[in-house]
Amino acid sequence: MTGPLQQFAASTHEAGGDIFSSLGINGQMLAFQAIAFIILVFLLGKFVFPILIKAVDERQEKIDAGQRAAAAAEAKANEAQDEVAKLLKEARGEAKDIVATAKDEATAMINAGEEKAKSRADKIVADARDQLEKDVIAARKALHNDTIELVALATEKVVGKSFSEAVDKKVIASAVKEQV
Amino acid sequence: MLSNFAASAGFEIHVASQSLFHIGDFAVTNSLFTGAISMVIMFSVFAYVVYMVKNNKYNRFIGLTQWTFEGMLGQVDSVIPDKKLARRIAPLALTIFFVMLFGYWMSVLPGLDSIFYNEVPVLRALAADLNFTFAVAIIVLLTVQYFALQAHGPIGNLKRYFRNPIKDPIGAFEGLLEFIGEFSRYAALSVRMFGNCFAGEILLVVIAVMTSYFSVVALPFFLIFELFIGFVQAYVFFILTVIFTSLAVESHGSHDEAQPNITDHSSTHATKPAVLTE
Repeated sequence: MTGPLQQFAASTHEAGGDIFSSLGINGQMLAFQAIAFIILVFLLGKFVFPILIKAVDERQEKIDAGQRAAAAAEAKANEAQDEVAKLLKEARGEAKDIVATAKDEATAMINAGEEKAKSRADKIVADARDQLEKDVIAARKALHNDTIELVALATEKVVGKSFSEAVDKKVIASAVKEQV
Repeated sequence: MLSNFAASAGFEIHVASQSLFHIGDFAVTNSLFTGAISMVIMFSVFAYVVYMVKNNKYNRFIGLTQWTFEGMLGQVDSVIPDKKLARRIAPLALTIFFVMLFGYWMSVLPGLDSIFYNEVPVLRALAADLNFTFAVAIIVLLTVQYFALQAHGPIGNLKRYFRNPIKDPIGAFEGLLEFIGEFSRYAALSVRMFGNCFAGEILLVVIAVMTSYFSVVALPFFLIFELFIGFVQAYVFFILTVIFTSLAVESHGSHDEAQPNITDHSSTHATKPAVLTE
């Protein structure tokens, strides 16, 4: 430990016993460097830093403006989302109503169709029955006539002579009447 | 021991910067010469950056410089809440940072202790000259006192150091310590920067001598380490300047005042970094 101290003391002695001189501190140099540094501060403070500070401030302003715009956009987006939700809710309600109305209308239509189909079917059935009755009556009539003709022929064969048509008919009709 | 080693290895260690040549009576020292080179480099860099920023041209280097500048400015703004004062102290603090940075980084230039003129090594970092670090520390001291005078007035500023020992013995002792601290903290500020830079230069020379041909492999690590230390030391000088200013202008309030002031005082301190006091 004494080595470096002794060396420092020796160098101090060599420098004239002044600690400042041994450390290289010189009044003239100190003043020169201080003035040079002040000039440097002035030059940088005048020509360099204001431009860089301005750039930083502008950038910060841009960031702030961006943040404000983002906040406004977020608020607008939230508003739009609320609006969309509201519209969706309304649309859902409307859709529900429409579906309900459509269901009702469909049910009514189906019922009406069923009614119509039923009435038409009934009419067809009724018509068919009428037609059937008419056909039956016609068939009976035809059968009746055929029967009279057959009886007339048979009677001719049995009696062996023919009667006039008017007599035949009269006889047959009375015979049939009796039979019926 | 180091001197003996240096003598045996064939190089000399000088605490003081050495005179290269004289202009009239004025001695141009090696640190002054290297400092002038560092200032030329610094001005060139700033001229380029300012030109590019003014013309809205950006590249990675401009981005890095702006990022560093913005970070430093942000530090000033965060330590000094009063933005007006922050912007007034910023030029000095930022100049200190960049000058110290460039001045320190000159120690990694090749040719350290190998280029001689009049048997004096030409390269010696500006920060390895006590004249420079003392000069900057004195300027910081005067600036801080100027802002303190503006904030408290002459009497108020004196009251920070001198209090009635009968009324407030603890406060008087604290004031005395504060008064001594006003000188010691700036002396420490300058000697710290000088010591780091000077030791760094010696370290590089010692490593180069000790590792001989292997130094091409070993030295780059130490050079990177020196660049890092240079940044740290420049930042420390810068941030302490800002903190000293902040401490000097903040409203201390006397110790015999009402409690709310004391609460305000502590809350102000709570926002400060841990390196407030030396």
